[in-house]
Amino acid sequence: MTYPSSSPKVRIEFVALLAACALFLSTVEYLIPKPVPFMRIGLANLPLIIGLGLLTKREYILLALLKVLGQGLITGTIFSYIILFSIAGTFASTLLMYIVYRFFKQWVSLIGVSIAGAMASNVAQLTLSQYLLFGAAAKLIAPPFLVVGLISSIILGVFAQQFEQNSAWYRSLREGSL
Amino acid sequence: MKKIRLGDIIIFLLSLVLIGASFGSYGKLSGKPEVRVQAEGREWVYDLSVNTTASFSGPVGTTSIEIHDGKVHVLASDCRNKVCIAAGWISSAGEWIICLPNNVFIRIEGSIEPQAGGVDDISF
Amino acid sequence: MKTANIRLAMGLLTLPAILLQKSFIGIILQALYVIVLAVSHGRRFRILPNLILLFSVSSAHLLQPHGLQLFSIGNFAITAGALVLGARKAFTLIALLYLSHYMVTARPNFPGKLGKLISLQFYYFERITTIWRTITPKRPFIKAIDNMLLQLSVGGKEPFSTQVKEKASVTSSARNIGKNTLHLIILWTLFVLGNLAIFPVI
Repeated sequence: MTYPSSSPKVRIEFVALLAACALFLSTVEYLIPKPVPFMRIGLANLPLIIGLGLLTKREYILLALLKVLGQGLITGTIFSYIILFSIAGTFASTLLMYIVYRFFKQWVSLIGVSIAGAMASNVAQLTLSQYLLFGAAAKLIAPPFLVVGLISSIILGVFAQQFEQNSAWYRSLREGSL
Repeated sequence: MKKIRLGDIIIFLLSLVLIGASFGSYGKLSGKPEVRVQAEGREWVYDLSVNTTASFSGPVGTTSIEIHDGKVHVLASDCRNKVCIAAGWISSAGEWIICLPNNVFIRIEGSIEPQAGGVDDISF
Repeated sequence: MKTANIRLAMGLLTLPAILLQKSFIGIILQALYVIVLAVSHGRRFRILPNLILLFSVSSAHLLQPHGLQLFSIGNFAITAGALVLGARKAFTLIALLYLSHYMVTARPNFPGKLGKLISLQFYYFERITTIWRTITPKRPFIKAIDNMLLQLSVGGKEPFSTQVKEKASVTSSARNIGKNTLHLIILWTLFVLGNLAIFPVI
């Protein structure tokens, strides 16, 4: 789960790199036109999924934190209500993904991890939106959100799985040759 | 698609259960009981499950209602007899309170059935 | 005091004035003021997403009827009170959003180790955006990504403290403090006026 022969100073660079990927992906997602503005594909979660196999617990939490803060800073929403949704969603999903990966690794692939993360994130955000945004109506929008989340997380999970298996970069990190 | 494992299937099925459960909220929203007030020649609507107060004017002054804990009553009124206040709390669909002098008519609507054994039952 | 920190402080101090605003007209005025503030410092204002927010939050609140019935669709009553409540919430959120935009316009730096990490993250972010463009072919996809990641990983592993130049801190004049204090006063005044019910109640 960790790349043995790297010093903490070097490893931090990779955390930052992954965090930067998350930023990049979130701007990509931002540019994709969406019929309903709140539907999220969760591209920015990809580094978080892939990082599961590379980082220690502490580094993983750091990655999640950097993702949230980075997104907040770059979109300028860091002091507004939007960051709360980002925090809730990212916190819930990384927690669940970490647990699933750490304890059930033998039974799940990254696909399952991705689905779990997306569901956790959506539930957390829908619950939050009930109090902050929509009131009882949040329950109404829950089903389509969850369905979209399920579908997109499966696709993302498949991609993560492919990446994990075919990426030379990933492999070298695991083997400690970078 | 290589290597889909058992855990993936389980997580997937759990997600379907979650989604199915979320559809349950669609039924609940249609039958919500409301408090409807007719006053000032217009109609006002309030959710019975939300605590709030409201005031309406009429020929003799102001009549205020309070919605609390799923019940509603007349909080204060400028009418002389205060019959409307004495009417107390109502909470079931079909029940109503009226302040005749001030032209305020309050009733509860919704598809929730009144309690069995309520006012409408006739027993000998 | 640096410009960034002044704006940050002003924003934080203004937060309660927006969050606690009860008047509908009051929050609209505050939101407009903050939007102008943010736009005049470089942020863009796109009408569509804000309109969608306004519309969706307002209509979501219609599900809990409140107040004067305007008309009804079948059994469903459209109430003015619910609309106003929803709209007020939406405007509050919009105001907070643009206040936040304004607060970060001067690029505040995060203190400490976390701050350096974030700078590192942004450094890599800019490198990704430049390097990705140079990558051809972009299919097969994973190979292209690998290509980029490898480039980013092996290029001179200089500790980032030398890479990330300290942005020349723009020390502020009294004018800056003055301007921000003015914003603060105006927004708080709008809050007080709103709570004193000076504005017409819708």
